[in-house]
Amino acid sequence: MREAFIHGCGDYYAAVETDDALADLKPLVKEATGQPVRRVGRFIQLALIGAGRCLAGRTAPHDTAVYFTSGRGDMEVTVEVMESLFRDGEAPKPLHFINTVSNAACFYISKHFGLHGRSTFLCNRYFSFETALQLALFDLASGAVKHALVGSVDIVTPPLEIQRRRLHLAPDTPVAEACHWLLLSTDPAGSRGAVTAATVFGDRAAALDWVRGRGLDSTGSAGQFGDGEAFLRDAGIPAAFDYRSGRAHYDSQSGAAISAFLERGAGALVHVNADPDGRFAVMCARV
Amino acid sequence: MSGVRFLGAGLHTHLGRGVAANLDALERAPPRPVLTPVPLGAGVEHVPSMPMADAPLADFDTRLMRVAVDVAEEAIAAAGLSEAQRRETALFVGTSSLDISVTEAVYKRELAAGLDAHPLTLNSSMGNLGNELRRALRLGGADFTFNTACTASANALLYADAMVRAGYAKTALVLGLEAFNAITALGFQSLDLLARDGMKPFDAGRRGLVLGEGCSALVVGMDDSTGFRLKGGANGCDPYGISAANPDGSTIAGVMADALRAAGTDATALRAIKTHGTASLLNDEAEAAGLLRVFASPPPVSALKPFIGHTFGACGLNELILFCGAVERGFVPGTPGIGASAEELGVTLTQGPTPVEPGAFLLNYFGFGGNNSALVVANA
Repeated sequence: MREAFIHGCGDYYAAVETDDALADLKPLVKEATGQPVRRVGRFIQLALIGAGRCLAGRTAPHDTAVYFTSGRGDMEVTVEVMESLFRDGEAPKPLHFINTVSNAACFYISKHFGLHGRSTFLCNRYFSFETALQLALFDLASGAVKHALVGSVDIVTPPLEIQRRRLHLAPDTPVAEACHWLLLSTDPAGSRGAVTAATVFGDRAAALDWVRGRGLDSTGSAGQFGDGEAFLRDAGIPAAFDYRSGRAHYDSQSGAAISAFLERGAGALVHVNADPDGRFAVMCARV
Repeated sequence: MSGVRFLGAGLHTHLGRGVAANLDALERAPPRPVLTPVPLGAGVEHVPSMPMADAPLADFDTRLMRVAVDVAEEAIAAAGLSEAQRRETALFVGTSSLDISVTEAVYKRELAAGLDAHPLTLNSSMGNLGNELRRALRLGGADFTFNTACTASANALLYADAMVRAGYAKTALVLGLEAFNAITALGFQSLDLLARDGMKPFDAGRRGLVLGEGCSALVVGMDDSTGFRLKGGANGCDPYGISAANPDGSTIAGVMADALRAAGTDATALRAIKTHGTASLLNDEAEAAGLLRVFASPPPVSALKPFIGHTFGACGLNELILFCGAVERGFVPGTPGIGASAEELGVTLTQGPTPVEPGAFLLNYFGFGGNNSALVVANA
């Protein structure tokens, strides 16, 4: 798999500590897109904020592809439609119903940033950001795509007590909203670094063989799922890069790893997540 | 480009359970939709639909997984996958509504019981369905769930093909899944897009769609056997409108042209076309305009939604399996009395089973959010 060169990052992170503490995203949407965007909820707003920050005022080539993921999708609109339908006995409002389709956010990104390329919303229980990145790397390596926006969005839908129940978290677990986007290209000119791999392995041994075989003089980073630190120890890679300390819970934390590593300075990153079935997702990047 | 072979299929739709039963029914005229009662407040809405045959709309907690596993096992058996091969198989799920039918059932039950009920407390993870299916089917590879509205399972097949060709999986199981749920039923009702008298794509009498239910599975891999394979495909985003493609047909023509280019197939070489054909006023207009931009003289044009309804995220694979199966039996499916005249949109549909030789075929899929896909398959 060839490298994909990083031309931009766009992130948003905010812990949500009380039921009425959700940030007003409208000004951030306007700042990121250059215009107000009406009649969209927090999920689409955060998608636009992340993509806009990632592009940072640049005009992306119109054939830029979008790879978008989320742990829970647009829970705000789904909860609203379900409560309206089953609790209140009212049919879904047309726009709410349309926005229950997860790729509605991809549409708004394409529309606001003038993109006509491939557009994919995909999900995975434990490796949401890694699998989105993996597909983007496939398309970039095969030549099907020259530029790619890869991103994740996770929102909080109060009350927080119910949000925690939905995520099967212990009471009082801190929760957060976040989005993380990368702008990737096959063109190295002007890039800030490169994503060198994103792969899911069926078992630990295969993942270890692959990581060791690359002979990386790397810094390791353990993701939020599974015992990544033990894996990195066995691979002989120090787990020296911690981007997660102090962060409240959200599903797609892996999305923060690469952009945080870019801020850290030169080096190579091996990021590891594991699921309960013993599969491993490995992302590699270099700055 | 030489794409993956179709090694084994499974299918469950309104036409029947199993690929053979579905193909037998395709040789007859499309069945009429039924009206499925959906409670809404104190009343009941009757929604035109084509639910899966022999799968009563009950036991929603387990119905989805039972159907999906049965269909997947049909495909795995047809492909002859061993246990060892399962462990090297990746899963690509395409669905619009995921497991929302299960979530609805739980929430309704908790509300009825007077509990402190909230939606999505049992499961809110969008990747849960793919994860559970992978476990139930004992697949050891990666799993990807595509949620791009009506193109979802077509896009799942495109990426399964890419992964297998690149050597990242030896085989892949692609699964299209769409189960009846109240949100989809009443959402389309609220959009005034449902037709009680059946789907009539490209017809002057078209009034909209019928809710379809279906599940399909396809095992794909690289081998030298004969039979259908994916020659190429394309996906693009049309930012014209969130629920309708550009009516001038330009973006739809673009994705068809891209798919033909990816497949290395000239438009004049196609034996037949399977349209998306949602029978809605605007989308058929856009698809017809797109077809007329690409094809000066189109080959036989077919529509399958009159047979099974619109199966949304699953329609990509449901209709591919129906279409390829019919071609292997020597015919392109036809819809008597539907789309019989070119006067309305300039497109005429096949009016009954139409003999066809092996060759290359184009299949179109267009979805909410401006997601457009086209596939080129070939059996020669």
